[in-house]
Amino acid sequence: MFEILEHTADIGFRARGRTMAELFAEAAMALSAIYAELDQIEARLEYPIEARGEDRESLLVNWLGEVLFWIDGRRVVFSRFRVDAISTHEVRGLAFGEPYDPTRHRAKLLVKAVTYHQLKVTETAEGWMAEVYLDV
Amino acid sequence: MPGKIPIESIDSLRHKIPRDEARGMRTHVIVYASERILAQIQNDLSLEQAANVAHLPGIVGPSLAMPDIHQGYGFPIGGVAAMDYHYGVVSPGGVGFDINCGVRLVRTNLCEADVRPGIKQLVDQVFRDVPCGTGGSGFVKINAKQLNQVLTHGARWMVENGYGDERDAEFAEAGGALEGADPACVSERAKQRGLPQLGTLGSGNHFLEIQYVEEVHDAAAAQAMRLSKGQVVVLIHSGSRGLGHQVCTDYLAEMGPAMKRYNITLPDRQLACVPISSPEGQSYLRAMAASANFAWANRQAILHFLRGAFRKVLGEQVHLELIYDVAHNIAKREKYEVDGIKRDLLVHRKGATRAFPPGHREIPAEYRPIGQPVFIPGSMGTASWVMVGAEGAMRETFGSVCHGAGRFMSRTAARKGRDARQVQKKLEEQGILVRSETRDGILEEVPEAYKNVDEVIEVVHNAGLARKVARLRPMGVIKG
Repeated sequence: MFEILEHTADIGFRARGRTMAELFAEAAMALSAIYAELDQIEARLEYPIEARGEDRESLLVNWLGEVLFWIDGRRVVFSRFRVDAISTHEVRGLAFGEPYDPTRHRAKLLVKAVTYHQLKVTETAEGWMAEVYLDV
Repeated sequence: MPGKIPIESIDSLRHKIPRDEARGMRTHVIVYASERILAQIQNDLSLEQAANVAHLPGIVGPSLAMPDIHQGYGFPIGGVAAMDYHYGVVSPGGVGFDINCGVRLVRTNLCEADVRPGIKQLVDQVFRDVPCGTGGSGFVKINAKQLNQVLTHGARWMVENGYGDERDAEFAEAGGALEGADPACVSERAKQRGLPQLGTLGSGNHFLEIQYVEEVHDAAAAQAMRLSKGQVVVLIHSGSRGLGHQVCTDYLAEMGPAMKRYNITLPDRQLACVPISSPEGQSYLRAMAASANFAWANRQAILHFLRGAFRKVLGEQVHLELIYDVAHNIAKREKYEVDGIKRDLLVHRKGATRAFPPGHREIPAEYRPIGQPVFIPGSMGTASWVMVGAEGAMRETFGSVCHGAGRFMSRTAARKGRDARQVQKKLEEQGILVRSETRDGILEEVPEAYKNVDEVIEVVHNAGLARKVARLRPMGVIKG
C-alpha cells in the first residue's frame, strides 16, 4: 500500500507494510509505479535484488537504488516484489518483471535518484511506514 | 517548517537570514528576490535549506539564494555556496544528482516565417531524432572504451568523432571538458546507466525548444551573439543522464559513513560532505568532472542530431551554430577576492548559472567585450531569456546568477484538474506546439507551475548580477 506525496520540484511516496519485509516490497512497488504504468507489465522473470546499509534509512535508500539501477540501467520494469530476508543492515529479495518494451509498456517519469530528503522509516500501530522522496 | 526562518530586507532585492550560531550556522544567507517572489518562496523549505547550507565547514561569504530558488534535496535549487578549497568541504548534494545539467543555445539562419508553416513536420522530426529516453536508447553508438574517452574529453571527443562542428566545443563553458576527470572514479554501474543514454534528453524538466527572438534589449550584446529580432533559435536543456545520477548516488552512499570519520555533523543527511582535500573528496571531484564531460558530450550529440533533423525538413542550406553552453549544476574551482583577500574556492552551483562579466579571460574572445552569455529557460508556455554576466556577480555572488523560472507548484498539484490534450490545445492556440513521450511530461510542466520568469530576470538585472539581452518565445517544444 502506498500513496504519492507532494514536493515542489519532485515527487515522493508514503508506503506501509505489516512487517519491514512488506514495507520494503511496497516501497519498491511505489518506485515502479511512479516510473511506469503497471498494468501491462508481466511478472514473468525474477531478478534477485540485495542491498546493505548502516541503518534502516540507508538500507531503504540503497534497496530502492538497486531497483532503480535495474529500471534505468538495465531497462527492466517490475510489477511485483518479494523480500525474503531483512535485518537492519541487509535486505535480500526478488523483483518480478520483464525487459522494457516500448510497444507494450508506458514509461511515465524517468527517476534520477532516491534521496534522503525528509526520509522517514517508522514503526506504527499497524506495522511499518516509510516516506521517501525521489529526484525526477 | 515554512515561515519560521527569520528574514530581514537589506533593500528591495536583497534579503538576509542572519547567522544563528546556536543553530550551527557558520555564516548568513542572502536571498535575491522581489517582494512577491519572497512571499512565493516562503511556501516551501527553500529558505530553511539555504540556512542549512550555511552550516557547511569552510563556507566563505554568505550562502546565496537566487530568485528562482525552490525546495531541493539538502541544497535548495537556485543555491550558491563557495568553500575554501584548502579547508572546506565538497558536497555532492551541492551539485545535484544531475551533474552538469545545463543549457545550450543554438542560432539558425532562419526567421520565424521560414519555420512557422512547417513547424509540425519539424517538431515531429526532431522528436524522432532526439529521443527523450523513455522509449529507447540514444542514437550515439559507442563502446565502453570510447565512453572513457567521452568522460575524459567531453564535447571535444564528440566533435572529433563526427558529432559536431569544429567550433562547437570552444563555445561551451570550460571548452566542453573539465580538467581532472578520471573515468576510473566512475563506477561500472554508472557507466552502464549512461552508455545507452548518450544523446537523449531525459524527462522531468528537460526539454528542447524551437524559439524565436521576440525582443532585443541590448543591441550590442545581441549583435555579438549574432542574434536579431525574429530569428529562430533552439534551446537545449539536458544533463548527464543516468551516469551522473548514479555517480551522485554512489558518492552520497560513501560520504554518509565518511562524515563520521571527519567529525562533520549536519542538519540534513542529504547535505553529506567531506573535506575537499580528503581522498573521498578528490575522488568525487574527478568523478564529477567525468560526469560533467558526459553531459557536455550529451548536449553536443543532441545538437548533432538536431542539425540533421532541421536539414531533413528545411533543406541543406540551414545552418545551426552554437552560441554558448552553460552548466547550472556543478562545482568549480575559481578565485575570488573576498574582503580584500584573494581566495581559492570551490563554488557549488546547484541550479545556478556562472555569469562572468565582460573582460573575463575564461569567456570566448568574441564575447569578452559583452560578458558571458547566460541562458535562463522559462516554462514551456512563456519565455526564455538571454542575458550576459555583469560585474555585480563577481562582487556579490561568486560569478553566479539564477538558472530558470523556478517551480512553485508541485507535480501532483500541476496534474490536478488538468487534461494533457487540453493543455496541448491551449498552447497550440498560442502558437506553441508540444510533443512529449509522456502525458505526465506535459501536465507536470504546465506554465502555471512556475514562477514568472520575467520577474526572476528583473531581479537579477536590477541587482546588477547580469544584464538582459533578449527575450525568446517558444514555437515548438519537445519534452520527456
